[in-house]
Amino acid sequence: MTETTFLDANELVINMGPQHPATHGVLRVKLKLSGERVLGSECVIGYLHRGVEKIAENRTYAQFAPYTDRMDYVAGVTNGMGYCEAVEKLLGVELPPRAQWTRMTLAELQRIASHLLWLGTHALDLGAITPLFYTFREREEILSIFENYCGARLTTHAFRIGGLQYDLYDEFENDIRKFCDDFLLKIDEYEQLLTTNRIWMGRTQGVGILSAEDAIALGVTGPVLRGSGVRWDLRKAQPYEAYDKVEFDVPIGEHGDTYDRYLVRIREMRQSVRIIRQCLERLEPGPIFGKVGKVIKPPAGTEVYHSIEGPKGELGYYVVSDGTVNPYRVRIRPPSFVNLQALDKMIRGHLVADVVAIIGTIDIVLGEVDR
Amino acid sequence: MNDMLRKIFLTDLLKGLRLTFSYQRPEATYTEQYPLERPPVAERYRGAPRLNNHPATGETLCIACNLCALACPENLIVVGWERTADRKKKLTTFTYDLSRCMFCGLCEDACPVDALELTQDFEIARYSRDGLIWDRQMLEEGPEPTRYTR
Amino acid sequence: MQFLFRHPLILSSIKILVVFMALSGVVAYLVYMERKVLAFMQARLGPMRVGPWGLLQPIADGLKLLLKEDIVPARADKAVFLLSPVISLVAAFSVFAAIPYGPGGWTITNPNIGILLILGLSSLGIYGIILGGWASNSHYPLIGSLRSAAQLVSYEVAAGIAVVSVLLIANSLSLVVIVNRQQQMGVWNVFLNPVAFVVYLIAGVAETNRNPFDLPEAESELTGGFHTEYSGFRFSLYFLAEYTNMVLISSLAVVLFLGGWLRPFSSLRWLWPLDYAPVVALVGAGAFVLWLGLQSRVRGERMFFAALAILCAALAGVVGIPLVLSSIQGVFWLTVKVLAVLYAFIWYRATFPRYRFDQLMTVGWRRLIPVALSSLIVTATMLIWTGYRVVPLLAANLLAGILTAWMVSVRGAGNRSRPTREAI
Repeated sequence: MTETTFLDANELVINMGPQHPATHGVLRVKLKLSGERVLGSECVIGYLHRGVEKIAENRTYAQFAPYTDRMDYVAGVTNGMGYCEAVEKLLGVELPPRAQWTRMTLAELQRIASHLLWLGTHALDLGAITPLFYTFREREEILSIFENYCGARLTTHAFRIGGLQYDLYDEFENDIRKFCDDFLLKIDEYEQLLTTNRIWMGRTQGVGILSAEDAIALGVTGPVLRGSGVRWDLRKAQPYEAYDKVEFDVPIGEHGDTYDRYLVRIREMRQSVRIIRQCLERLEPGPIFGKVGKVIKPPAGTEVYHSIEGPKGELGYYVVSDGTVNPYRVRIRPPSFVNLQALDKMIRGHLVADVVAIIGTIDIVLGEVDR
Repeated sequence: MNDMLRKIFLTDLLKGLRLTFSYQRPEATYTEQYPLERPPVAERYRGAPRLNNHPATGETLCIACNLCALACPENLIVVGWERTADRKKKLTTFTYDLSRCMFCGLCEDACPVDALELTQDFEIARYSRDGLIWDRQMLEEGPEPTRYTR
Repeated sequence: MQFLFRHPLILSSIKILVVFMALSGVVAYLVYMERKVLAFMQARLGPMRVGPWGLLQPIADGLKLLLKEDIVPARADKAVFLLSPVISLVAAFSVFAAIPYGPGGWTITNPNIGILLILGLSSLGIYGIILGGWASNSHYPLIGSLRSAAQLVSYEVAAGIAVVSVLLIANSLSLVVIVNRQQQMGVWNVFLNPVAFVVYLIAGVAETNRNPFDLPEAESELTGGFHTEYSGFRFSLYFLAEYTNMVLISSLAVVLFLGGWLRPFSSLRWLWPLDYAPVVALVGAGAFVLWLGLQSRVRGERMFFAALAILCAALAGVVGIPLVLSSIQGVFWLTVKVLAVLYAFIWYRATFPRYRFDQLMTVGWRRLIPVALSSLIVTATMLIWTGYRVVPLLAANLLAGILTAWMVSVRGAGNRSRPTREAI
């Protein structure tokens, strides 16, 4: 009698994840392989589902804000900002300028922090262990600024609906200016380690090509979309806060491969520094809270969709009110979830090693995919 | 030319090697040896909760308004009070379920009298859930801070 | 008594025992060194908690591995599964019998086919990896072991060709003769044939499965490669074999290219102060340890460092005795050079990303082998044409190396600027 083992089959089905060092959390990818070449894949998600959208229906508008930090847990500030803005739009509240500039400063810092974490882990997936420690060092500086500003490092809950809970601390501007000056030099160091490195180029160039048409058809947003050569950035396309008052470029890639997405994110970090510097110049004393009542009760039947450019792409909140203190429905459009759908398109025909690179380049956070 | 140099003499690799080599200088070390060196915690840090007493009289500042309990997204605060003879609220019990707390700071924001405060004490991890429901006494006196020695 | 020590069996047994013990210790502390050096390059401190400056970490690690549960997967091929780590380890350790540690009696054995013996034995270690991966009956180990089989075989070719050009210069397969030849020539082989040295070093990194060629155990892709299913003691055998192989490859590099046990500039008599380097090194180590101890605020740590410093001073005194000094010379310089090469290995690991499998093959077959071959041909030609003369050999080799490198890397096949992906 012969037992059929996987060795007898021409096609090998392997499970990557949910416990796998390179799936950035609990993503499970079922890979169909022929040798080391990927024939097809299937994503299995939901291992980190916490029912965030359902939680929202049982909380008041203000109470839901801290939960948003826990979706994309490496970019808590931008997540909270998107939600607060959506509710503000629902209420028709105008923010005082000081609150806007502060929000933008912190959001751009968060974008840098998120990209740093992506860079470190992405490089680690491709075997370069050192960038991780360098990027985490800089991320640490950003988290310290967050901690000084709002008292928490990761799940910040930095903003409130209608403005800011905390005014800036004394050394805020100095800290950030110092960080910006140092950080530009540090980016050069990462680039020294990776950008021209032949191994890095070999691992990323031509890997996971996503054409502009495919990217648009799949609804991909953020650096992944821009890496494919589409100049689409919500900060430019539909400016929120005061992004129409600052100057910055939207970097795009040419080939739509992993290397281009790497370059796009590196350039975005530089642009973020540019935005932060402009924000700090505009920062003037003034009120930090708009006209919002103690109890937030949007009129019944109103609804709003508001999206911002998160570090990973378009982060949208669709909020429906039924006139009570609790939202009737909050639907979240997470960038990671949508971007993840491009995975199968990108990995077909590549090797197992490239799967790791491509999962890394999409920059997913499973907390956000599963919510 | 540059590209040729890079390809033949591996200058791209040498560039990276130089960087990692230069990082071996001792002052580049970023590690904080946590139990030996205490990290400075921000003034606004949201850590273990505390119920403040009036520094002079020693009486609680809490007016039992229940706003913190209403603000809490997790409903983990229970405020107990009784009416005094002059119809004023007087705090009797105060429980705070730390095991469900996510340190969002909404209760702190809601407090009109600065009685409830999230302090800078961050070493509140425990091996079990027992004892994570803090009563009024615990909240007023604060937890016994763990001191690590070597 | 005299008879006992003269008897080859007994003398060899003692030597084997000494080498085995020393090697185990070296490998254990190589792991410590790797962790420390990596940490410093990454702006960290590395192990600090077990013993002062984490000095007892290797012992703790070893103890932990020994005490862990030894799991054999249910559907594994049990006999092969249990045996394969042993194959790897035995192959790795037995090779050291043929390495010359110093002049005269500082070898366990000196076969006249030394280099062949070493290459043959160390290739046996691949069986341990392939069989281990296959016997695990699991996907990731299987892929890992297939990768490593292909990788080791292809890089053995490049390394072998690089070694042959050294053999041409030395005109012998015996490692002792190769080192002696370098002394006669007055230069190390690396200055005669740097191209072969670079090729050998790169291929050596690949053969030891080290970054940037650590595909068989690429943890982010294969979760651990061929040893995914291994645990506890058997895992530690693989671990030990791997680091022993590292020591082996760097010892070979030193013997073949960097003058083995020879002091730098060994032909220059007036540099005799260099002979006292062992003493200086020990005194320096003692002073450094003392300084560390003075920095420490913990009493136990200060005692430990003080004891270490005294030990260093005592050793320096012993080594200072002229007879001991002259006999220890060879081993000292060999150790220093091996450590330098090992440091380079760790340095690469801290700096480079990992190659992909097909790229690894491209580098091996399309880059390294042509370069090694050209250097071999040029060396042979020059040896016939000009004889053993340093400058012509070096110049011709460099020229040929650069030319071939240019041909294979700038103009070579498989060098499209941005490869498009293949359709399925």
